[in-house]
Amino acid sequence: MEKGRDDFVIAIRSAFLKRGTQQRFSILSLILVSIIFLILGSFNLKAVDYLKNIIKDVIYTSSFIASIPENVIQISYKNISNHYKHYEEYKKIKSELEIFKTKDLSKQIIMFENIKLKKVIDDYFTTSNETYAKVLLDKESPFLRSIVLNKGSKNGIKKGMIVLDDVYLIGKIVEVNYLTSRVLLASDINSKVPVSIEPIGIQAIMSGNGNQNGIIQYINDESIENKDEDLLVITSGAGSVFNSGIPIGKITVETNLNNKDIVVKFYKDFTQLEYVKVVSNEKQIVDETSKKEFELNSEQISKFNNQQQNFEVLKQQKDILEEIRLKIENENSELKKELALSKSELQKLQDINKQIKIDQEEINFLRLNLLYAHKCRKNFYNKLYKVGTPEYKACILNKGKKIN
Amino acid sequence: MINAKSKIKTFLYKYSPVVLLFASILNEVDFNNLGLKYFSFNFAYILIFYYSLKRSESLGYTFIFTAGLFNDVMIGIPMGTSSLSYLLICAATAYLRNITLRPNIFKDWIFFLITISLLNFISFIVLMLIFKYEVSFFDQIVNITFTFLLYLFFSRLFDLYDNLLLGKSNAR
Repeated sequence: MEKGRDDFVIAIRSAFLKRGTQQRFSILSLILVSIIFLILGSFNLKAVDYLKNIIKDVIYTSSFIASIPENVIQISYKNISNHYKHYEEYKKIKSELEIFKTKDLSKQIIMFENIKLKKVIDDYFTTSNETYAKVLLDKESPFLRSIVLNKGSKNGIKKGMIVLDDVYLIGKIVEVNYLTSRVLLASDINSKVPVSIEPIGIQAIMSGNGNQNGIIQYINDESIENKDEDLLVITSGAGSVFNSGIPIGKITVETNLNNKDIVVKFYKDFTQLEYVKVVSNEKQIVDETSKKEFELNSEQISKFNNQQQNFEVLKQQKDILEEIRLKIENENSELKKELALSKSELQKLQDINKQIKIDQEEINFLRLNLLYAHKCRKNFYNKLYKVGTPEYKACILNKGKKIN
Repeated sequence: MINAKSKIKTFLYKYSPVVLLFASILNEVDFNNLGLKYFSFNFAYILIFYYSLKRSESLGYTFIFTAGLFNDVMIGIPMGTSSLSYLLICAATAYLRNITLRPNIFKDWIFFLITISLLNFISFIVLMLIFKYEVSFFDQIVNITFTFLLYLFFSRLFDLYDNLLLGKSNAR
């Protein structure tokens, strides 16, 4: 028994302390270094953070280089498939563009009004502090749904900044290095976003589910039961973490509310991100520039409003003209119908008239026939005309045979 | 010519485990997270366990430690967590080597299960209790199960690879 314990101790000691033929350090020493790393990581020491940032920059760059072959294959495949989709999308976009062009003016008005109102209520708003960044790495981790961007503190990126793709929320910056930064995606289980569910206007917290969807938390399920249309999920701006009104995703009609989780389908596919926009969530200080901007916005709003009024007038005029045109067209068609009717009646009258004339001629012939038949009818003693022949008829109408 | 070929083979034999380890960590494809709910496995665990057990000199402890740091940074967990796990695998394999007289793949396999279960338990403790990370237990169970199951497949694959490079007799 004693010997067995000795063997165990020897084996353990040998495993931890013995260095192999080509090993510079023993396992124990490296384990200690790992533990030191872990302990230092739990403290926010500036020097350690600085060292960590350098290591992270080096590793992200190495990983980016190591991923080049894989990325090249992925990009090539994507380009080929995109090529096939291109034409269909082009046609679709063209038709959509026509629609959007018509909506553009009203959108601009709404946008400026929104800016104005946000400033009035002193909401969080920024327009100029935007940075565009490339997604360097999007390696998925079982512990963290995140992406690494190629912009860091050098480019003015700060912790807590909001990351958007187009206008849709992607996540927020959680780690800033000198050249790179890490974004915690909204789909991460640790991500908590204050949201507003529209159009019913319910406030809630959205968390990621670790996959490609979000989950609505801290909400009474009854409040969104019996929904018959998709519900939109946007940031509420509560807690000053995210600006308000950033679209995130939607709760579709198909979502089964009997389930425990209310799933939010994101508008954007987080695995397909290439370029993102990093915007500040800092409160904008209203200074002279902002005031001028505010005045400018007001002017633009009134300008747009005037334009809209003009458009309204023109539209009304167009509507009236259209109405008149339709009326005239109707009248024309009515008149055409009447004309056709009159023509047919005239034709009928003409026919009657003709018939009367024929009848009169016949009566006249019969009357004369009674009087002058003996002067025209052929007998065995004269050489006149046979009854029924045109010559006989002419003779009757001439009141007897005409002697030249 | 034969000499050059032999040199290439020796080079591959010597350095391919390290290259494979770093490639699997630095690459964007992560077997730990393939996007499937019921399938994931830790390739690094299998690789480190296999090569530390069979050829302890092929993966230097320093390389393993560095690979762990790289992995931590890549997946965004506190630096040192993976290094600790990887080094504990090395310690486990060193212990197994010391106590084993007649190597047997099934004994290795069972020992691998015990080792990765213990490592994941340690990772849980570190991540959840110290660093307050939210970790899905179910995903971890799935990961451990498939890592355990796939060990046999990959060990056979690595055997074949070594045989291919150095010939059956030399590889063993």
